[in-house]
Amino acid sequence: MKKSRTLLAGAVAVMISAAPAPAADAVLNIYNWNDYIAPDTVPAFEKATGIKVSYDLYDANETLEGKLSAGNSGYDIVVPTLVPFAARQIKAGFYQPLDKSKLSNYGHLDKGLLARMEAQDPGNDHLVPWLSAIVVMGYNVDKIKQIMPDAPLDSLRMVFDPKVVAKFKECGVSIMDSPTEVFPPALLWLGLNPDSKKPEDLKKAADLLKEIRSSVRRFDSSEYINALAAGDICLAWGYSSDLEVAKHRAMEAGKGVNISVVIPKEGAERYIDVLAVPKDAPHPEAALKFINFVMQPEEVAKTSSKVYAMSGNADAKPFVSPEAAADPVIFPSPEVEKTLYTITGADPAADRLRTRLWTEIKTGH
Amino acid sequence: MIPAPQDSPWADAAATPQLRIRNVVKTFEGFAAVDDVSLDIYRGEFFSLLGASGCGKTTLLRMLAGFEFPDRGAVELDGLDLLKLQPYERPVNMMFQSYALFPHMSVAQNIGFGLRSEGLSRDHLEERVVNALKLVQLSEFAHRKPNQLSGGQKQRVALARALVKRPKILLLDEPLSALDKKLREATQFELINIQKQVGVTFIMVTHDQEEAMAMSTRIAVMDKGRVVQVGAPHEIYEYPHSRFVATFIGSINLFEGMAAHGPDGWRVDCAHWPLRTAQDLAALDHHQVALGVRPEKIRIAPLDENFAADNVCEGVVREVAYLGESMLYRVALPSGFLVRVAAPNLGARFSSGQPVRIGFGADAGVALDK
Amino acid sequence: MRGLSEERKRALGRFLVIAIPFLWLGALFLAPFLIVAKISLSSAAVAIPPYEPLISWADDGALVLTLHVGNYKLIFSDPIYLIAYASSLRNAAVTVIFTLLLGFPLAYFIATRDQKWRAPLLLLVMLPFWTSFLIRVYAWIGILKPNGVINGALLWLGVIEKPLVILNNNFAVIVGMVYGYLPFMVLPLYAHLEKMDWSLLEAASDLGAKPFRVFRKVTLPLAAPGIVAGSLLVFIPAVGEYIVPALLGGPDTLTIGATLWNEFFSNRDWPVASTVAVALVALLVGPLLALQHHRTKGARP
Repeated sequence: MKKSRTLLAGAVAVMISAAPAPAADAVLNIYNWNDYIAPDTVPAFEKATGIKVSYDLYDANETLEGKLSAGNSGYDIVVPTLVPFAARQIKAGFYQPLDKSKLSNYGHLDKGLLARMEAQDPGNDHLVPWLSAIVVMGYNVDKIKQIMPDAPLDSLRMVFDPKVVAKFKECGVSIMDSPTEVFPPALLWLGLNPDSKKPEDLKKAADLLKEIRSSVRRFDSSEYINALAAGDICLAWGYSSDLEVAKHRAMEAGKGVNISVVIPKEGAERYIDVLAVPKDAPHPEAALKFINFVMQPEEVAKTSSKVYAMSGNADAKPFVSPEAAADPVIFPSPEVEKTLYTITGADPAADRLRTRLWTEIKTGH
Repeated sequence: MIPAPQDSPWADAAATPQLRIRNVVKTFEGFAAVDDVSLDIYRGEFFSLLGASGCGKTTLLRMLAGFEFPDRGAVELDGLDLLKLQPYERPVNMMFQSYALFPHMSVAQNIGFGLRSEGLSRDHLEERVVNALKLVQLSEFAHRKPNQLSGGQKQRVALARALVKRPKILLLDEPLSALDKKLREATQFELINIQKQVGVTFIMVTHDQEEAMAMSTRIAVMDKGRVVQVGAPHEIYEYPHSRFVATFIGSINLFEGMAAHGPDGWRVDCAHWPLRTAQDLAALDHHQVALGVRPEKIRIAPLDENFAADNVCEGVVREVAYLGESMLYRVALPSGFLVRVAAPNLGARFSSGQPVRIGFGADAGVALDK
Repeated sequence: MRGLSEERKRALGRFLVIAIPFLWLGALFLAPFLIVAKISLSSAAVAIPPYEPLISWADDGALVLTLHVGNYKLIFSDPIYLIAYASSLRNAAVTVIFTLLLGFPLAYFIATRDQKWRAPLLLLVMLPFWTSFLIRVYAWIGILKPNGVINGALLWLGVIEKPLVILNNNFAVIVGMVYGYLPFMVLPLYAHLEKMDWSLLEAASDLGAKPFRVFRKVTLPLAAPGIVAGSLLVFIPAVGEYIVPALLGGPDTLTIGATLWNEFFSNRDWPVASTVAVALVALLVGPLLALQHHRTKGARP
């Protein structure tokens, strides 16, 4: 789940973008996250199949959900995050079952991941795993060490211990503007179930977040990539794929900004983004062809290397760039993998409470 | 209206002018709108700036009001250097051609507007407004808005609004041009009466020579940014200095010819009709001049009626215009030259094609060399 | 019977002339508004579309109309909505004041230029519209950020020692909104100033009024309709402004636009989102009607 580049652009997209061109043979309408596919995958698919791809972008699950909720989106393939989005969207009847007899490359998929997905998608009827990453922290190593030589670099304390995070206030702390990615680690830091939906737990987490609020310069889900790479901030809570981008940009810039992306030892949220075909997709056959195409290990490995995320394809790792393959944040060790948790969907009342608490944390009202 | 000598301060060398305009020049993008104008205007005058549009008369007026500043020259009012003052500091007020009444204010508010910056007491201010309304007979319209007034009423509000300030000089920019003909005549006399009542110097810009003649003590005729002649209406009319003034004011016959001296005195040797004149043309001897003769100075008579005059000629009536109070004829001389003749509408009338005799005295014409 | 048919044609023409704007308003304003109002009386559901239908068939074949007024109760019971409304109204009002303070001299300047300069100057005012609003607001981030243009210049000049915090707060929001809405103020003001009778200003000056009094007593009252038009044109969209606070605002910037976004996307609660929108319209339409009433009354003799 790459989630909101800017929530705003998503909202604008929902408001102004018309549905794609009407159905025609040999056409495929894909709606995907921005920067979430290798640049040559679509041309290769077009060349291999003769199907013309029309490719639209979004930057927030909310945008995608808003569009699918209205119906008649016109898209053939979308890429929601498994929980809570794809899970509840299956229940709401957004997607059609996939005809696996037409997916000859299905066998390459990671069986463990498929098993984990069955909780949300019984029989793996509707979804195919695409990419998976983790919600983690990234920081400017030199600045942090300069301010706090004994900083707990591998712990949630960096962000969620009010006394620690207060030290980094001056050099800049950014936290994602997304309650679903911030409540779980806060709950975990408090020793509670990170997936808890209990109002009293959520309120406790909110109290903690209110305490660290004064140390946070910006609640933001997209600018932190550039800000961290440019040295404008020194600590960010965000998506591992985004933070990896920041790290590589800083290295390329060569201005001595040294970024570290770290999975907290207490655990972190793994999220899975999946491919799905909307129920009213105008070109379901073409959609299946595309899914089968990107299930080739070589194809998805290109995307995996490009966007710094693990793919849901068990046989892809050998084709991934050596640098990415060796990155413990993209491919954690089995021990670390065990500490990763996933979040389940919440009922609307819990969602509303969480959103409300989030507004309260941010604005004080 | 020929003023009595005591009404002609400009003729008195010892009198001090109220307003002195000295060598004023104003150019717009290289074009001299006002070109070296000097004028003396005396207290209590009704002075008109007369000329065709574009002659610079309005620019001159706007410089007196302070909306334009001259490039060169001086303007003094009672010894006060007007050019150092902004419009709102000048003891001068203007009545605009469009009247420029404030549409969002009532008649009384319009009139009171100028008084509010004078720091008058409320009662005093109201009294002045009431008096001004009385002066222009608009007391019952005090609470109307300008768009509820007729053209004549608006004009009077504009007048009252300017006069209530008790200016030393009132500037009037084509004050009657927006009125219809009938109202215009009535208003002319009203303006003259009001001026006499308040005793303020009026300087009026107009393109209408009749209006200027009827109302002014003196007229400055302007052409191409310059003042070509200044004088009382009868002077301008009877003794124009130039062909331009002669033709601009009223109607005139111009007999072009060489000035020469003969046995009978001075004459103008016009090819169409050699003419005798009582004027001393010594300074113009053997110069090309025009003898200007107003149509009403020429007598017209049937051939069988003999009349004596210094200049007599036979001709044929070519055109007849019936003007009610007078008849206007165009009489062709033997050379074909057309002479305009105006005759009072009494007794004999002549018809087209009728041979006639026309003539005038040696003192009827004025020789023009410019 | 030719006359009659002409008569009929004319009646039809009159009808069409009146009907077209009404159809336009009906199709593009009233119908969407009624749909939103309808959704506001529903309740959220996990479905396509994500709310319960108002009318449903009961098992016994009866037609059931279910209206939820709970959404309206909700937005009045939780102060967050009122606070968001108040903060949006305040920002819009401040934006109106600043666009007026900047826009009036600008419009006045253009309207008093020579005829040949007015069109190019107006074009300059409208030029920013050729670029996406989003990009222009992003440009302000570059100008206002801690190592941006303004702070860079001030630091270089030695005026300040550490960067001013002028981004991600309400100051930045106001800057962005004033920037974005300035043309909406300038254009109607210009339209009114341009056709103003300048001799009225000369007359006022001639009558002894100093420039400030001329401005206050003549220019301002005569430009009043333009000021009202410009203020409305700025105020109405400014209340619902989403983009500028989202990009330039800080985390504590609370606006009705952001509240709507939360309801629509985070809570997936279209009915509550619709309720917030309906309440916003009610909040705007009330004062507008009052103003319109006042204006028509003022225009009557």
